[in-house]
Amino acid sequence: MNKHRNIFLQYFIFIVFISLFGILINNLAINLIRTGIGINFSWLLKPASFALAEYPLPYSASDTYAWALFIGWLNSLKVIFISLILSTFIGTLIGFARTSTHSLIGLIAAGYITIIRQTPLLLQLMFWYFVGFLGLKDNILIHIENIFKVSNQGIELYGLSFSSEFSALLFGLSIFTSAYIAEVIRGGILSVSRGQWEAFRSLGLSEIKGLISIIIPQALPAIIPGLTSQYLNLAKNSTLAIAVGYSDIYSINDTIINQTGRAIECFIILLTSFLFFNLIISNSMEIVNKIIVSSKKYN
Amino acid sequence: MKIMRRFVSGIVGLTMLLTGCATTNQANNSRLDLIKKRNELICGVSGKIPGFSFLESDGSYKGLDVDICKAFAAAFIGDAKKIQFRPLTAAERFTAIKTGEIDLLSRNTTFTLSRDSSEGNGLSFAPVVFHDGQGLMVKQESGLNNLEDLANKSICVGSGTTTEQNINDAFESASLPYTPIKYQDLNQVVAGYLQGRCSAMTSDRSQLAAARSGFKDPLDHIILDDVLSKEPLAPASDGQDQKLGDAMRWVIFALISAEEQGITKSNIYEKVQLAKNNPELKPLRRFLGIDGGLGEKIGLSNDFVVKVISSTGNYGEIYERNLGKNSEVPIPRGLNELYTKGGIHISPPFN
Amino acid sequence: MFNINSDSINTLFQKVRKLLFSNLFNTVLSLVILLIISLVFFNIYKWFSLNSSWEVVTTNLPLYAFGSFPTDQQWRPATWMICLLFISLLTLFGPKWKWLRKNLLLAWIITIPLGLYLLYGGFGLSPIMSRQWGGLTLTLLLTIFSALLSLPLGIILALCRQSSLPLIQKSSSIYIDVMRAIPLISVLFFGQLLIPLFLPVGIEIDRVWRAIFAFTLFLSAYIAEDLRGGLQSIPNTQIESANSLGLNQVQIIRFILVPQALRIALPSLTNQAIGLFQNTSLMAILGLVELLGVGRSILANPEFIGQYIEVYVWLASVYWMVCTIMAVLARHLEQRMTINKTNFQKL
Repeated sequence: MNKHRNIFLQYFIFIVFISLFGILINNLAINLIRTGIGINFSWLLKPASFALAEYPLPYSASDTYAWALFIGWLNSLKVIFISLILSTFIGTLIGFARTSTHSLIGLIAAGYITIIRQTPLLLQLMFWYFVGFLGLKDNILIHIENIFKVSNQGIELYGLSFSSEFSALLFGLSIFTSAYIAEVIRGGILSVSRGQWEAFRSLGLSEIKGLISIIIPQALPAIIPGLTSQYLNLAKNSTLAIAVGYSDIYSINDTIINQTGRAIECFIILLTSFLFFNLIISNSMEIVNKIIVSSKKYN
Repeated sequence: MKIMRRFVSGIVGLTMLLTGCATTNQANNSRLDLIKKRNELICGVSGKIPGFSFLESDGSYKGLDVDICKAFAAAFIGDAKKIQFRPLTAAERFTAIKTGEIDLLSRNTTFTLSRDSSEGNGLSFAPVVFHDGQGLMVKQESGLNNLEDLANKSICVGSGTTTEQNINDAFESASLPYTPIKYQDLNQVVAGYLQGRCSAMTSDRSQLAAARSGFKDPLDHIILDDVLSKEPLAPASDGQDQKLGDAMRWVIFALISAEEQGITKSNIYEKVQLAKNNPELKPLRRFLGIDGGLGEKIGLSNDFVVKVISSTGNYGEIYERNLGKNSEVPIPRGLNELYTKGGIHISPPFN
Repeated sequence: MFNINSDSINTLFQKVRKLLFSNLFNTVLSLVILLIISLVFFNIYKWFSLNSSWEVVTTNLPLYAFGSFPTDQQWRPATWMICLLFISLLTLFGPKWKWLRKNLLLAWIITIPLGLYLLYGGFGLSPIMSRQWGGLTLTLLLTIFSALLSLPLGIILALCRQSSLPLIQKSSSIYIDVMRAIPLISVLFFGQLLIPLFLPVGIEIDRVWRAIFAFTLFLSAYIAEDLRGGLQSIPNTQIESANSLGLNQVQIIRFILVPQALRIALPSLTNQAIGLFQNTSLMAILGLVELLGVGRSILANPEFIGQYIEVYVWLASVYWMVCTIMAVLARHLEQRMTINKTNFQKL
């Protein structure tokens, strides 16, 4: 009796939701007909007629909207990927600093984390861009001939040049994410029992060597899930690129909506591309996790 | 199962009822009636363009676009204060009209074919309230003088605007390479330019002048002579709503016509008296709504011109207040003079 | 504690020496760090005293606080914010009288209808539409209402995900996973531009409420995910024993599952609240004049063009202040909750 009731309840709720959904879709259809917006994707093949500052693959304004979107997608991927590496690096450093026995370092790490975590990322990005990079005006911050140059035009490294928009987004994202990664790392390190520290110290290993060969391998299983979710957040947060003028997938979508008025189609494209980013990140982290688990077994 | 079937049919019925109601409700209702019923005009503005619409320290909006909104509110409702300003980004402005989020748009919007057409954005444009042209501003000390000098340079531009397309067209037709640095709104473009990210910034010339007037040393910056495009800026509404479109069109013409006839905020009631006392002043009587019933033909009260002029003044007064010599952002009137004074503003007759 | 004598200074001195200068490496490190810190502070001080002009902040203070709220009515949001601040301070530093502590929760709850009443008006106050809300008032409002609405939705989603009914379980987990995969700004974009298309003609929801709705949709998925951990950690034996006591399903959920899950997930829930407060700044990109939006609008005033550094620094400190208050309150709440937890474990 109870079971039947439950099944009925389930269908009931499901049908209510489906019909609510149906009503919404119906409204949408009515509105689309009424306003003459409609849904179609044929505009994707028309020329975009806007230029971009950065394109990893050849692009000109006479290329199609679809190609412009793909360039935006690649731009997003670029900043996500590099920022992922940079934030892991900074985050690990800060995470170690946070657990350091040197109290001043610990204090600075804690201060860094609270300041970064308690101001909005959007504001930080604007600050990095308009104050950090553009604030240099005509001064050049660092200039090592042909190797490294930081100015308001961006960063040049061995002939590779990164625009200031990209660099500001990269730094802003990485520093913001690193504060969260630091906490994940700290949690991982703290999850390793104190006995392990004492053990390697008594074996005469140096702090750094012990950390790398004893503590980190044991902390990794606890770190990976937290790291994965921070990476996913990083990918999502990269959409704030629009605030610093970097042409990522969201800002190109924004431009296209403005030109064509195709808000629904652009929204669908945006969602699909992010589901894709997510798949990439979570699957690769899954592989990393598997490698760690299996390498542990062989040990 | 029987219960289930009844239940499903109930839901389906309910759905049809809900949506059915919706379809019958909206048949042929003009937005104009809705505005009157609501007793309030919702006007989409930018909120971030000096001289056109920006937030004052007391929290009110100010500027040419804002005054145009006030003129509409005065004409439609009879009270220029019954108005809500909705700051909109460039990207959301057209969707906001289409979805009914705002009644009309007075947001520095360029009148173009694809925006006007039903295959494009499906808008309907009122007469142009400001004739602009896109220009380029550079630093005096840079020694840049024309478009050719800007080859291979970075240029700061607002994204998603006609500006962005125009600059691309200009450089493409001259076969010059350049790098566009795109920002979301004008003050970011200004920041990018001032901080030396770009060699030049491009925008409508009025906006360049407005921005420059706020700089510490306005004389260090020059606006190049190259005019990249015509930028006729006009209020807009939903293209399917002819009634609202007509009303808006004639409110703008009333502002221009009032200036032609020398009717101002201060003398409007004298003029009304004059018209009332002199039956032979036929055009004036029609214009002020004493004869002819012109207002009613476009869904407004017959004396809508009186209401508009008494609350915002004529076009010239609006211009002087926001962009005139003594305003914060002085821009010479140029093309925006009346046709009688060398400009191109002209109103069709009120007949 | 504040009684400083030579003895305590001496011990402090020794402590510092032990902490910072215990060996050569540490000493060098400490000196370098101190040098960098003082350089940074010196430069900041130099900028503050010489190169900055704070008129853009001082003349626009009411704008940052209340946005375009009518000037003669600004006492209303001001009252509300002072109430919130007062209760926060009372919660943290107030006397530990029992009757006060008991009624504090009530006071917190009352601030919400009070806030709505003061802002919307009616019943003797002139009505003001939500479109006119702005500045910090709007930021706080977005935060509070999104948090309030998303908590129950998140609980329902989390419970649905644990449900034994496959259809419900599947659909809620799809919702949670998809929501967590997409960027917040796209959900907010949906709320601002696309929701009107899903409503029947003639029905309008104001954009402030649409923003709250979008935040709720987004946040509830995260809350559900946080609660899942809490729900999973409750041992099955508890449910079995509750069953044997004759509690029905609703009672089990209400008295056993939800309170414990909430308590376990509390730290992550408070983090979500702080994150939400920060993320309301995204609405500036979508044209709402909340705190950051006001800042960006002020920068368009010809009087203040180009003074963005001051504006950003000022806004950052306001956000930081409020976040810190929230974080301290959260810690206070967590501490009170963990007392119960230790009691529980003792049993």
